[in-house]
Amino acid sequence: MTAPLLSIEDLIIEFDTQQGRRRVVDGVSFSVGQGEVLGILGESGSGKTLSTLSILGLVPGRPGVVSGHIRAHTDAGEVDFLAELPSVVAGGTAERAYQKDDRRWQRIVQRTMKPYWGQFATAVFQNPKQSLDPLMTIGRQLDESVALANPSLDRAAVRARSVDWLRRVQLHAPERVAASYAHELSGGMCQRAMIAVALAREPRLLIADEPTTGLDTTVRAEIVGLFKALLRDRRRAMLYISHDIREVLFLADRVIVMRHGKVLEETSADDLRHGRGRRHPYTASLLEAADLPVGEAA
Amino acid sequence: MSGAASFLALAGRRIAASLLLLVGASFLIYFTIRSAPGDAVDAITPMGTPPEIKEKLAAEFGLDQGVLGGYGVWLSRSATGDFGESLVFAPGQTVMEVAGPAFEKTLLLSGGALFATVVLSILLALFLGEPSARQQGLTGALYFITSAPGFVSAVVFSAAVNAGVQRFVEQAGHETPAWYPIPIYSDSIVPYFFAGFVLVMGDGLLMDTFNAVRAEILGVRGAQFIAAVRARGASVTPHLWLNLAIPIFSAFVSRLPVVLGGVVIVEYVFTLDGAGYLLLEASKQRDFPVVVGLSVLFTLAVIVVGLLSDVARSVIDQREVARDG
Amino acid sequence: MTVKWSDLGLRLSGAVVVAVMVVGLVALVIPYDPADAVSYDTLLNPPSAAHWLGTDGQGRDVLMRLVKGTEAFFLPGLMGGLIAVVLGGLAGAYTGYAAGPLRSALVGLLQLVDTLPRLVFIILLCTIRNPSIPLIAVVAGLLFVPTVATVVRRKVEALASEDYILAHIAHGFTPARILLHHILWLQCWPLLVRQAAFVFGYVLFVETGLSYLGDYGVQEPDPSWGNMVAQVKDLAGAGAWPWLAPAVAIVVTIASFLAFGNLVARKGEEALR
Repeated sequence: MTAPLLSIEDLIIEFDTQQGRRRVVDGVSFSVGQGEVLGILGESGSGKTLSTLSILGLVPGRPGVVSGHIRAHTDAGEVDFLAELPSVVAGGTAERAYQKDDRRWQRIVQRTMKPYWGQFATAVFQNPKQSLDPLMTIGRQLDESVALANPSLDRAAVRARSVDWLRRVQLHAPERVAASYAHELSGGMCQRAMIAVALAREPRLLIADEPTTGLDTTVRAEIVGLFKALLRDRRRAMLYISHDIREVLFLADRVIVMRHGKVLEETSADDLRHGRGRRHPYTASLLEAADLPVGEAA
Repeated sequence: MSGAASFLALAGRRIAASLLLLVGASFLIYFTIRSAPGDAVDAITPMGTPPEIKEKLAAEFGLDQGVLGGYGVWLSRSATGDFGESLVFAPGQTVMEVAGPAFEKTLLLSGGALFATVVLSILLALFLGEPSARQQGLTGALYFITSAPGFVSAVVFSAAVNAGVQRFVEQAGHETPAWYPIPIYSDSIVPYFFAGFVLVMGDGLLMDTFNAVRAEILGVRGAQFIAAVRARGASVTPHLWLNLAIPIFSAFVSRLPVVLGGVVIVEYVFTLDGAGYLLLEASKQRDFPVVVGLSVLFTLAVIVVGLLSDVARSVIDQREVARDG
Repeated sequence: MTVKWSDLGLRLSGAVVVAVMVVGLVALVIPYDPADAVSYDTLLNPPSAAHWLGTDGQGRDVLMRLVKGTEAFFLPGLMGGLIAVVLGGLAGAYTGYAAGPLRSALVGLLQLVDTLPRLVFIILLCTIRNPSIPLIAVVAGLLFVPTVATVVRRKVEALASEDYILAHIAHGFTPARILLHHILWLQCWPLLVRQAAFVFGYVLFVETGLSYLGDYGVQEPDPSWGNMVAQVKDLAGAGAWPWLAPAVAIVVTIASFLAFGNLVARKGEEALR
């Protein structure tokens, strides 16, 4: 059994708010195997976004405490991202507390995470039109990714590969799309382009955070189908975050269910689809709400 | 439409709009001239002007006709750059001969001061980052100092410089500089730097620009697509520059009218022979053609700069072209 | 101890604003004969018990002239601010709501006025008509109408699609009432306060600037902060109080009005959110 690509252990993230310190991620643990698709199912506020954004060091704001381990199996060997981040609290305890203001936190994180961004993982967010630079053509942004993943290619070859990627995400007239700007494309087209940009970087892990939110229903199904097709070769793993249980069941190999910052259940997608095994009552309620077979309630 | 063709169409439309603006603004100026109480000619000429000159002026400004007709007469002359001759200030020379070189100096001074302001604002914004309680003391103090009107800053500054130079000369026995004491007419370039400094630090220019620039920088930096760029290990710098180019350029352009206002009095305090000083002197001496000519030139400057910025913006931001095209 | 700077700023600037208002009102009623104040025994005296800010080059009490000098800009400033805010507010509300040729014409006219460099135009006006300070203040207010109108227009456009506005329409309020009362008065007042304070500061700037230059504005021997600052040329370092005091007064007043306008506007906007 190969080592997991990514394993998160006892992740705790707390934020200092005006009402005091709030624990938003409460001892979350999960792992993703090489080439595996892990679905993270939960509603808004469940901590699912934060747990996964923390992998990329994209936690916004000013965390009071970040503790735990984020172990990644990168090209440079085994790395614990959180261990890499320097301890900023005097007298260093096991907790790494970042009480400083945002800019210093951002700079520290950026400096630490930079070698892994893109190479280890990339992300696709919701609101595809906001994820693309409005003033650069799609092609140029794709070229950026392709060039980073393939430093030896010349400009023509990079552009050829970019157009190829656009074709692979099922975009009509890929050359024209490459010459277009984000505002000229529909939401669905933008998301496809965004997926191309993320995958062209050739990461080992793709993080998709509610990628279908904000898209029309028919387009949503197309995007989900696109993910399925693109990951068929199992060359990369994916973390698929969603509140839509049907999407998660369609794409994932394994599923974890989150609520209020905790992992409630971890199971194979197969078991969930067929109503096998004992279910956490919250999972059961999600299944019921979607008209899916529940199986045994725990 | 291809990119180049739609761009030309847009540029053409903007130029037409600017011409319309120029016509309208010049009409407002002309209307103001005609609104003078009593006999217009007497109002605009200094005492003791010989009647032939009054007649010539009346003809040039179309004062014998109705407002619209007179405007037509005046516009057709002015559009060729013929603003008449200076009456008092530099008799015999045309207004353009006098105003042209002065205007160059003023544009250089204003442009330079504005450029320095934008650069300072960027540096300040990068240094201070997000607004926080800690910085409010510093920004508050800066607000206070820089909100002074130009002439107050200029007066206080020159008094301080004069006092300082005096002490310097007395103690160390150095020669008095050519430009001392301020104000004194000299060919030295040093007063221009003083004037530039005062322009930057007065009329609330610096903090206003700083606020706008900081908002833009933070806005772009915090944008989702920047996080997305970073997350795939690409460099955010080209994206930042591209997205900040227009807002910063706009900040520059939109404040030119303010600087042109401030430069008038600042030039006067430092006796720099730019268009602002000329405007005030001609106004004092009631050299009407010069005053009108300069007013139109100042307005033209604002319009031209606005047009250039619009066109430049369309080059970078295709969304504009799409919206209008 | 965290100092709430905005509160401190609000209090300081508010104090200055109130002080200026009080002094302005007082100045309107107290009598002052500038010729009478001339006194050759007390030329350029430093501050003393008799003359708190000293005397100027003609022996006149500086503090008295400082107080009386507010007359030149106080009412004109309020007037200019009122004109800019009322006309600008109405224009902004109309252009934000209506569509059609009248609206386009108005937008064009506003853009025209906005293009004119303000001080240059005012100097042109002075050359032609030698206007009184109140007239200059009115013109200054008019020159700011486009700025106010733009700000209000954006706000109206943003609010027009808000749910509660649609609810008001459903309740049967006329568009005029919604625009004027609900949007302009209830929602836009912070913007208008900020703009009014700015225009007041601008009128102060123009009046003192013109008075400083000498040919327009307030003429000697009547006092204006501007022509008091102009004495720096005659005094040539012999005494600082006569010109420094009004200079400081100008800066403090403008800064305070701007800051007060901004802070009140910010607090108002927060409260409305």
